[in-house]
Amino acid sequence: MNTSLNRIRSLIPPPLIALMLAVFLFVFGGVLAPGFTNPDQAVNIARLAAFLGIIAAGQTLVIISGGEGIDLSSGALVTLGAILTYRLTGGDDAMILPALLLVLSVGALIGALNGIGIAFLGMPPLVITLGMAGVVTGVIYFYTQGQLIGRTPPAMGRWLSQALIGPIPGVIIVWVLLGLGMWVLLERTAFGKQLFAIGINRTAARLSGVRVNLIVVLTYMLSGALAALGGFVLLGFTQTVFLNLGQPYLFPSIAAVVVGGTVLAGGKGSYWGTMAGALVLQVINSLLLALRVEEAFQLIILGTILLVLLTMYGRQRSVRQ
Amino acid sequence: MKAISVQVEKAVKTYGGVVALAEGNLTVQSGEVMALLGANGSGKSTLSKILTGVIAPNGGQVLIDGKATSFGSPQEARKAGISAVYQELSLIPDLTVAENIWLSHEPIRGGFIKWQEMRANTQQLLDLFKGLYGTNLQPDALISTLTPDERQLVEILKALSFDPRLIILDEATASLDSRQVNRLFELVQTWKSHGMAIVFVSHRMEEIFRIADKATVLRNGRTVGERVIAESNERELVDLMIEGATILQRERLPVVDEQKPVRLAVENLRTNVLRGVSLQLRDGELLGLGGLQGQGQSDLLMALFGAIRCEGQIVLSGQARTFHHPRAAMKADVALVPGDRGSEGLLLIRSILENLMLASWSRYRTPIAFSKARADGGQIAQELKMVMSSLDAPVNSLSGGNAQKVVIGKWLLRSPKLLLLNDPTKGIDVGAKAEFYNLLDRLRDAGTAILFYSSDDDELLGLCNRVLVLHDGEISAELREDKLTRENLVAASMGASA
Repeated sequence: MNTSLNRIRSLIPPPLIALMLAVFLFVFGGVLAPGFTNPDQAVNIARLAAFLGIIAAGQTLVIISGGEGIDLSSGALVTLGAILTYRLTGGDDAMILPALLLVLSVGALIGALNGIGIAFLGMPPLVITLGMAGVVTGVIYFYTQGQLIGRTPPAMGRWLSQALIGPIPGVIIVWVLLGLGMWVLLERTAFGKQLFAIGINRTAARLSGVRVNLIVVLTYMLSGALAALGGFVLLGFTQTVFLNLGQPYLFPSIAAVVVGGTVLAGGKGSYWGTMAGALVLQVINSLLLALRVEEAFQLIILGTILLVLLTMYGRQRSVRQ
Repeated sequence: MKAISVQVEKAVKTYGGVVALAEGNLTVQSGEVMALLGANGSGKSTLSKILTGVIAPNGGQVLIDGKATSFGSPQEARKAGISAVYQELSLIPDLTVAENIWLSHEPIRGGFIKWQEMRANTQQLLDLFKGLYGTNLQPDALISTLTPDERQLVEILKALSFDPRLIILDEATASLDSRQVNRLFELVQTWKSHGMAIVFVSHRMEEIFRIADKATVLRNGRTVGERVIAESNERELVDLMIEGATILQRERLPVVDEQKPVRLAVENLRTNVLRGVSLQLRDGELLGLGGLQGQGQSDLLMALFGAIRCEGQIVLSGQARTFHHPRAAMKADVALVPGDRGSEGLLLIRSILENLMLASWSRYRTPIAFSKARADGGQIAQELKMVMSSLDAPVNSLSGGNAQKVVIGKWLLRSPKLLLLNDPTKGIDVGAKAEFYNLLDRLRDAGTAILFYSSDDDELLGLCNRVLVLHDGEISAELREDKLTRENLVAASMGASA
């Protein structure tokens, strides 16, 4: 049983397995909760998955970069991205673009600090990004003084969350474009190839002329910018901000990466996988809602399912031997 | 010691569609040294891994003392009295020598490790090689502080600590110096007389004729013959191995053109290991580096490539240069083939193409012109006669010699002017070596300056006009023309001046 499972996993690429799992759960959900499987629900799930998927994009890069790479500051950065957009635009559509540029820069700056700490001070990613999450949260408290002033520009809701082309909301289009962009970045740029290389063997990468430290800093920078972008996009959906907006996305975003077949040890993976992983998690989430499971049990079931999925996907044989 | 007889019959192993072993046969008894010979990808490693329970065969059987046996793990094989010494070391760097040797079979009383006994037992094992290793090698020393040859010794002692009835020495001499090899061979003779069976995998023909009683030869995944060493000769075994191809017999060495420009001039180079090294290398010259393991050869090459810090003067192509990163050296048309291809040269789980292109991606613009990169990769693979299922196969599916071709191909793609080679033929077979020597000839004719460290004296004698022998971080001799003899090489590597 176990070996045949492994064989299936080696024949079908992990992103496809995750996608098949998402479709299966969606169809199977109709059996458990009659009426669950319908086109509106599909669009809704894809829309919610898009927010999670965009937030998980940076995480994918960081995990591929290896060296126990993980970005625990992304939840706080999502919150910061949303709050900055909310306050800077003050509901003015004309301010959307400047706000977006600022949000991306701030995210990149904080990510770069993570990267510098890791590459040049030798700090473990887990430690420095966790610490950075605390610092960013503190900065948010200081910046807002507990008062969330501002408004969401009406155009953001229209463009991102509501139906834009036919029944498809803009965020899904943004997501697909991001998917294409991530594919080009990972598979068709020297940066992407070198990112996989440092994820597997930093000595060999360095001896092949790869500037390992530079790639690490750039990766965490991108992760920070993408997390902040996630916050910007999320605001189009929530229309309002709160101090704990991004944190609940942190662990699902890591889970989405792993469910999509990206190896936690680094050096192997794809963003297609993360996208499929986000769909899997969102289908499960929506199904539990449709079944009117009590919130306490929702959390328990979701947690258990995550554990099972991570056990199935996350158990990597030693890839280096 | 209880006698043992081991028979592998018609063993088959496939990985996906690739046949690693089509028909592996091997018979070995107590008191016998059986050499296992074969070219790249001939199935030697697969066969020995089946014997030690590392992999399970798809077909055929293993008979131990006449009984069909299948091992689920190396632990089971060890219980049956079979243990192995691998070239790719299995030691944990952050544990001590004693902890590594006794890992998983520590002497225990009441759930606690008996440290005193473990240390004493370790010292006893170390005494087998008394006087042949540095003072640093102690039961409590961390593996990470040891030199490659010392690690190899620990690896051998670890296999020995299981009291095996059959021991497999897989390229176990590759990192050892000649005195250590001599001692190991004395030990092998003792083990033999006590009734141990020994399977000896080596690419050094001379060692096989020194130590083995019989040889089993594999070609393309099949056992093609067994010979009694005393009744065979080198020629016959090599012919069995490579089928038709001839091994390079060098007679004439091209003369170095003194008119060619000096590509590299080094003055008083110092690192933690090097204590002032000076040399000159012209275009189209193949300069050899000799000496015992760890005398500074690696440091010299790494320093020239900007991979470790150094002091002193490096003049490359007429310009004084200081490289702070390999990337800078690379841009100045310097290339380094590192000494340990697994940990320094390759991304094992990535594809052959990605490994070949790792140093060259930026030449293909953004987004990468992928079909162009693939065509270039395919061309170099063809040039080097790589045996592979496709460019997209992971590099860890290749045999040692083919994997080394990937490392070399990565640099040939950049057409280097100065090529630094750190023991590039270590652990690759005779056929691949012959191809490699021809490649060196072509590069030299094309005007590439090559600095070539080899742990194999025959290579230095056969390929180089001039050899610098390193001893204790200094050049102890420069040998050329009629001074370049085996005797002088050995004398200089022991620190005597020629």
